[in-house]
Amino acid sequence: MKKELESNIESVLLDQLRRGQISRRQFMQTMIVAGLGLSGVRGLAASPLAQDTRPLTPTFYQWMVNLHPSLDDLSQEFGDVNFQIAPVEGFNVSRFIEEASSKQSTWDVYFGVTPFVEMVSLIESGAIEPWDDYIPKDVLDDILPAIRAECTYDGKLYSWPFLLDVIVQGWNSNIVKAAGLDDTPPADWDEYIANSQKVVDSGAAPYGCTFDPGGWRSLAPITHSFSTDVYYNLEGDPDPLFDFTHEAAISAIKLMKQMLELSGANALQPGTTDGGVNNGPDDVAFGSERVAYWVKYQNAPLQWSSNWPDPSALRLAALPQAKGGAGSTVFWTTGAALFKYGQNKEKAAEFLTYITRNPRIWQESIQGTETAHPGQMPPYASIYADWAANPPDWITANPWVQLVRTQLDAAKAIPNHAFSLQQFVIGRPFWEKYLTGEEADPMVAMQAAKDAVVAEIKKTT
Amino acid sequence: MATTTASGRETGGLQLWRKITDNGGTWLYLVPALLFFIGYQVYPILRVLWMSFTDFHYLRVNEPVNWVGFENYANALKDPIVLTGLLRAAYFTALFLPGTIFIPMLLAIMLDRVKSPRISGIYKLILLIPAVIPGPMIFMLWKWLYDFEIGPINRFLIDGLHLFNFRNAPQWLGNSPLAIPAIALMEVWWGLGYHTIFYLAGLASIPQEMFEAARIDGANEWQMFWRVTLPRLRPILLVLLVLRFGTAMAVIDEYLILGGFNRELPTYSWTVYMWHLAFQLGDWFQGYAAAIGWIGAAAMLVVVVGLFYMLRNRD
Repeated sequence: MKKELESNIESVLLDQLRRGQISRRQFMQTMIVAGLGLSGVRGLAASPLAQDTRPLTPTFYQWMVNLHPSLDDLSQEFGDVNFQIAPVEGFNVSRFIEEASSKQSTWDVYFGVTPFVEMVSLIESGAIEPWDDYIPKDVLDDILPAIRAECTYDGKLYSWPFLLDVIVQGWNSNIVKAAGLDDTPPADWDEYIANSQKVVDSGAAPYGCTFDPGGWRSLAPITHSFSTDVYYNLEGDPDPLFDFTHEAAISAIKLMKQMLELSGANALQPGTTDGGVNNGPDDVAFGSERVAYWVKYQNAPLQWSSNWPDPSALRLAALPQAKGGAGSTVFWTTGAALFKYGQNKEKAAEFLTYITRNPRIWQESIQGTETAHPGQMPPYASIYADWAANPPDWITANPWVQLVRTQLDAAKAIPNHAFSLQQFVIGRPFWEKYLTGEEADPMVAMQAAKDAVVAEIKKTT
Repeated sequence: MATTTASGRETGGLQLWRKITDNGGTWLYLVPALLFFIGYQVYPILRVLWMSFTDFHYLRVNEPVNWVGFENYANALKDPIVLTGLLRAAYFTALFLPGTIFIPMLLAIMLDRVKSPRISGIYKLILLIPAVIPGPMIFMLWKWLYDFEIGPINRFLIDGLHLFNFRNAPQWLGNSPLAIPAIALMEVWWGLGYHTIFYLAGLASIPQEMFEAARIDGANEWQMFWRVTLPRLRPILLVLLVLRFGTAMAVIDEYLILGGFNRELPTYSWTVYMWHLAFQLGDWFQGYAAAIGWIGAAAMLVVVVGLFYMLRNRD
């Protein structure tokens, strides 16, 4: 307790020193008065004020560079950047946390933080600090409100949003047309199911529709299409959890069961990469043109259709509506976190502004390059406004961008919690019992999922 | 310093000191290996042992770690996921071990009888190919072979033999009773060449005179295998059994790559649970994960002792 208090005092004083609110002498005097003695010297030594001795050192996930090859070029263009690839696998951030525990950081910025996946862990461990003191106000105000909320924890912006992924619907227009359907997005879920059934009945493809079995990519967004008010708080816990027993979640799971009957027999099986999360049976079915409609984040259909004989047959649109529902979906951003014990913090903010607002990144992302077509979108309102006012050719050629953008106004991210992602991992075996027919009552299955999450939280926190 | 007794004999302590100083050079040469052994073997083991008796949560950086005695062990022994995980690992081991012990033995005996060194070399080379392929590539290859939609096994069963259709074809991986046997088969195939070479080395060390003497005494092939070959291969058998038992019970990479974190999957073993707890769930309760690790290690140790006893040298 005493150690924590000392650490907090030291952190507050360092913060004031960095902002110029106190001098170095005042800093040392207050440290001594607070009984922290010469540990202030160590604090100063670890402070970025004393150590901006290296070039700005960001670390990126390998996949980000694979999908956005110009990141390296732009970093060189910005100048004096030591561009590095993150030494972590999957979503494991233990290296960063380990360094923070000894008040050090090899890197200054971590490109790859997904708020609902790992941001709370990084904050709780004291590895990162908010951007609020560094991000220019006009940039902060330009972030779309839902995205800003996603990246904010305890009222502070901990993740500077960069690459936006949204759960959308994709379809193979060749299959849809072969089934005698209009090549337009189904407006609501009823039409979506009816169209999918027609695809199967007509023999245009073996499967009508499919979805990603990861709950944050299917159960949550489909639930959001009914309602976004589906989160609750455990007693004493300020961070919300997904309420599996909410009527919107029950409607969603019933809809998913209808979809599953029109999907491949292996639709609930794990994928081949990232702990079963990616390269799943839905990816394979869509990539091998065995299914017409797909609920997924926009990046995946763009990637998997690139090997079709006719990649131009891909269509993307906002998620279908639920009649009388909220018309929302789920999105997440992959952004940048600022290491508390890193250096070059002001420069990091300049770099982030340069990279995240760079037109080349967005053109290549949406238009695609020779090596990748991520389709990830920008987090800033002004960029979409510019595109709407003066649409470049590559925006006109990709009308889905504005369709998906429109849904962002209603979209909601999964709220931040230490179990934001894991609640869907823990709950999945239970709700799948309803999908597979092992449990006839959806409420029983979803209550079991909710109980399992609560039990796991009690056990591990 | 009193260094000698009245009779002129050195005391025990001095003898030890002299032994150490006389072999000073030897100790000096041993220092790097000792440091490595202590740093990479002893320290992590002791650290994990200590963690297992605490409420150590990796993400609680500023909170003190408390000693909780055997609480983690008691909770883990009551945790149904631990028990299920151990049973799943044992099931895999029961399928994997016979295949990985006896098939290579049979192959080695057959290869040993090939008289042409050239043909024998070609066979060995072919057998060793899987052993030099990196693990992730092996997993990807078999994941493709087993794929429900596009895997050649199911394509053959559906399109070639017309035994199934795309609705009822076998689900080889994921949430399927075939998942563990399918992974065991992959593992046996992967280690076939490597394990065969072990046995070939053992066979080469058996003097040919023993077989000739057995033949003169009228022994048939089966009797020669049972009375001559198998007893001489016992040390190899023991090493392979112990090594492979340990790796089979502690498999994790294959389960993570081919399964993931869905607890209903047969690949969610105690090792996956331990990793899940230690690096993904909540505040990363590594104290509890460490206790699960020690329970698994203790269970394995009991079996290993049994194996040593069963395969002890009875000559």
